[in-house]
Amino acid sequence: MAHALRDKAAISGIGETEYTRGTTKSGLALQLEASLKAIDDAGLSPREIDGIIPYFPGGGIAEDFVANLGLPDLTLSAFIPMGGATCVAAIQTAAMAVATGVCKNVLISVGRTGYSGARVSTRLQQFPQFALAAEFELPIGLFAPAQLYAQGARRHMQLYGTTARQFAEVAVVTRNHAILNGNVVMNKPLTVEEHHASRMISDPFRLFDCSLESDGGAAIVVSASDRAKSLKKPLVTVMGVAEGHPESPASIAQRPDLLEFGLVKAAARGYEMAGVGPADMDLAEIYDCFTFTVINQLEILGFCQKGEGGPFVMDGRIALGGALPVNTHGGLLSQGHVVGLNHVIELTRQLRGEAGRAQVKDAEMGLVTGYGDMGDGSLAILRRAA
Amino acid sequence: MSTVLPAAPERPLPTPTRESQPYWDGMREGRFMLQQCASCGKVRHYPRPVCPHCFSMESNFKEAPLGGAIHTWTVCHHPFNFFFKAQAPYIVALVDMDAGVRINAQLRGIAEADLRIGQRVTLAFEPVTQEITLPFFTP
Repeated sequence: MAHALRDKAAISGIGETEYTRGTTKSGLALQLEASLKAIDDAGLSPREIDGIIPYFPGGGIAEDFVANLGLPDLTLSAFIPMGGATCVAAIQTAAMAVATGVCKNVLISVGRTGYSGARVSTRLQQFPQFALAAEFELPIGLFAPAQLYAQGARRHMQLYGTTARQFAEVAVVTRNHAILNGNVVMNKPLTVEEHHASRMISDPFRLFDCSLESDGGAAIVVSASDRAKSLKKPLVTVMGVAEGHPESPASIAQRPDLLEFGLVKAAARGYEMAGVGPADMDLAEIYDCFTFTVINQLEILGFCQKGEGGPFVMDGRIALGGALPVNTHGGLLSQGHVVGLNHVIELTRQLRGEAGRAQVKDAEMGLVTGYGDMGDGSLAILRRAA
Repeated sequence: MSTVLPAAPERPLPTPTRESQPYWDGMREGRFMLQQCASCGKVRHYPRPVCPHCFSMESNFKEAPLGGAIHTWTVCHHPFNFFFKAQAPYIVALVDMDAGVRINAQLRGIAEADLRIGQRVTLAFEPVTQEITLPFFTP
């Protein structure tokens, strides 16, 4: 029997601001600007939004949306405190809300001044989930994600022979995709040599292995599929969606396997709900806080065996025109860092056939992941309705 | 013209909690103290109120051996916290302690090229304030 939520919810609207390094706007203003665009894209009035799931901390809270959009009757206000896994996991909560009739249209949004406002180490100290890292690891000089995740990457290299050349391939392919998009922070080509020459941040991560600190906003609207059919844009439904939490969720150090995290559980549930597998995907938008993180997730998602993610990304396989185009918009590495909501937007755009020069021919089904908060994971499988 | 020098960046220090205080007290005394369930005997780290194996809320802190083997590492070049700028680049090793938990700490006295998974290291203690002593590793 099909899962009760399969295809019951749709991504009905998408919106994003310009992605920049430098802005005078507040995170809240960026979030609202993207939200108004997403609501308009869905063909809705702001008054029709009755569920709010903002990325938190940072940007606004539900009260700000009521005050700015004059929402007459909000029926759901929720936070999903999963760091980079938040946006895709929020689709699960939104889908549950619209499928049960609790909400009609749920707005998921991010507003971020990651370049012009507080930087990552400062932001993370607001996260209760980072309390253990702050007590036991910050004092010895380990706290930023680039440092915490570097240890897993280093272990993968030692165990499986994964190379900096393979990391560079992810960075270069992602950059090539960004250049096709237009609304990106990094719009100049990147070579493997430039990647290798970039300064070391936390071994094995060099500067071009790390995602951007950028300014911007992004938003999507999730509506019930039977309602969304009558809206403005082609219908893109949520076939499968899941969140997963790893063992030792607030401490990477104590996790039995540093290379297995919440996505292991989310992927199993997401594929089962959708009734499909990795071979059915026309493309994948993978949360790319670091180049290695893409390699690691491709393994967990079943596109290749554990330890084979490095060779998998080579030879054009993840580039447009390859067997599995990945991060066709430029991702967090080259487009901008809005906590992966830009990945959901790009997948929706691809499935609508609106991806312009980066369009994957005849894209009908794809997946998008979230990864963050030291190992929480989330997966959504979207498809174009027949 | 006078120049105002910026204040030296403050060292980030742990704030011990009611759960973790015995661990930090141990550090100050040069002893590696780990929380052990009083009911099933399993060791857990970081300190927390309930044993995840048997749900007992009774526990003791027990001195643990200082040896361990490298699980993985990173070499920190970019000082995300300005305090560490003077120390960079520095190695942070994640070590499988013989007591069955892992500890992250700086590893000193070894070249980056000589690091290997499984390599034996020893936990040592560095007092940084009257209250706080931090762990580090030596080969």
